[in-house]
Amino acid sequence: MSRQRLTVVLSQAQGKNPTKRALEEAVAAALIMEPGLDVSVVPYLYDLGPDHTGRLFLESVQGDMVVLGWMYPRAAFWVLDRDGIKGHFVESQLKPPSADDEDEDEESQPEPPNGIGAVDVPDRSIYCLDLRDFNSHETYVQEVRRIADECRQRREAKLKEWIQGNPTVVQLGRYLRADEPQPVPEPSRFTSEQLLQQPQRRWYPVIDYSRCTNCMECIDFCLFGVYGVDKLDRINVENQDNCKRGCPACSRVCPEHAIIFPDYKTPAIAGAAVGAVTGLKIDLTKLFGCADAIQIAAQERDRELVNDGREAVGLTVGIPKRQADKPKEPKDDLDKLMDALDALDI
Amino acid sequence: MPDEMTFLMGKYPAVLPGDFRYARNHMCCREVEGRWRFNFTSYAVRLMQDVYFLDWAVSAGDAVQLLQQIGHIETSKAVSDLFAPLAGTVTTFNAELLNDPSAINVDNYGAGWLFDLDGAGGSLMSVAEYHQYLDENWEKTQRLIKGKINTED
Repeated sequence: MSRQRLTVVLSQAQGKNPTKRALEEAVAAALIMEPGLDVSVVPYLYDLGPDHTGRLFLESVQGDMVVLGWMYPRAAFWVLDRDGIKGHFVESQLKPPSADDEDEDEESQPEPPNGIGAVDVPDRSIYCLDLRDFNSHETYVQEVRRIADECRQRREAKLKEWIQGNPTVVQLGRYLRADEPQPVPEPSRFTSEQLLQQPQRRWYPVIDYSRCTNCMECIDFCLFGVYGVDKLDRINVENQDNCKRGCPACSRVCPEHAIIFPDYKTPAIAGAAVGAVTGLKIDLTKLFGCADAIQIAAQERDRELVNDGREAVGLTVGIPKRQADKPKEPKDDLDKLMDALDALDI
Repeated sequence: MPDEMTFLMGKYPAVLPGDFRYARNHMCCREVEGRWRFNFTSYAVRLMQDVYFLDWAVSAGDAVQLLQQIGHIETSKAVSDLFAPLAGTVTTFNAELLNDPSAINVDNYGAGWLFDLDGAGGSLMSVAEYHQYLDENWEKTQRLIKGKINTED
């Protein structure tokens, strides 16, 4: 597929909700008519297993991509990343109809996360739009048009930069390659029946590496062997299918809110922007729960342990010992020595 | 029987009947046929407003721990997980609400009941204690609701 075209992927909702299907069809029908776009429809992104044709298709896409789906953009982006479909997350300008006080949002911009980031990110942009935000297909079609323009401008700017000198190796490779080698099958080889074959529903955590600090609290907490570390000693979701359906406990213990369960009902766990109000809705869980997150997490874990015929462990295993409240003391000599060792960079 | 009390949420009076026991998660209960029948307090209903969906994560007959997550609610203004107000056994859910949850808004202390629970309902707060609890936390609650927008700590 040409890098010069924008790929638009529409990820269907789970189930057969007629209203959702109608919106999907209206968006797809309108976009297919647009020049410069390649439009495809795949089932619910989160459910696509490694052998699903929809996933093979997504892997074959090389250029910029827009993904429209029924989940938070952050969730969609990191599900793709998990599947090895990587790129740079670009914020869409389509904002959910936001709460009453616009101006209050301005001053409450959350600090940029300081996670470890994704690895091997190719030079392309991925936009994720949440189909739950608006009822009219027009809104989405307009945004996709705007994105297509933005991508074209970005490509042209990069080309100009190259013509005027100082090309980076990546750019050289990109523009000197006359016809791109295709290590992966042509997307046209996938029939729409194959693409749309309905997958089984799945349940597993998705890590947002823009927030994850590799602190390993999740791997300590989960007693089902879901988490592991990769060759670079980075935390990853090693055994997705060990995860217990419906249990979001590790997400609650994550100090950075970096663990997403896209299908969970609480927005903060399903991947809403951290601190955001979803549409007009406030999350009252704290008010109605009174237990703190760690306690809830331990209870959820105990329930799954007992279901597995194992002993409940309560708060005795893998509970983070956070000292955030501890007052900062002036550094003593030992602290200084440790700092000096850190600074040695060995 | 203690008298009914009213908690003023801004200008909105949340009526708190005297013959209920109150839990900190804004559910309250009274004894019906030897079990505790739980519902939302008017305070909770006012915060949530029109209920759209109610979903239970446990089944009738399940034993629940105090504050175990038992369900989820979505309303015009809010979403929230729901937690068990008491340890015990949930014996019945109000099936009517699953088809049409509007009774929660129309008659929260009556037809809008949520579930029956076998447990120590008598240990919960009295109306006066709940009123005091609301009073003490009202500042904080307002901050939470407005400030949800600012910080999530």
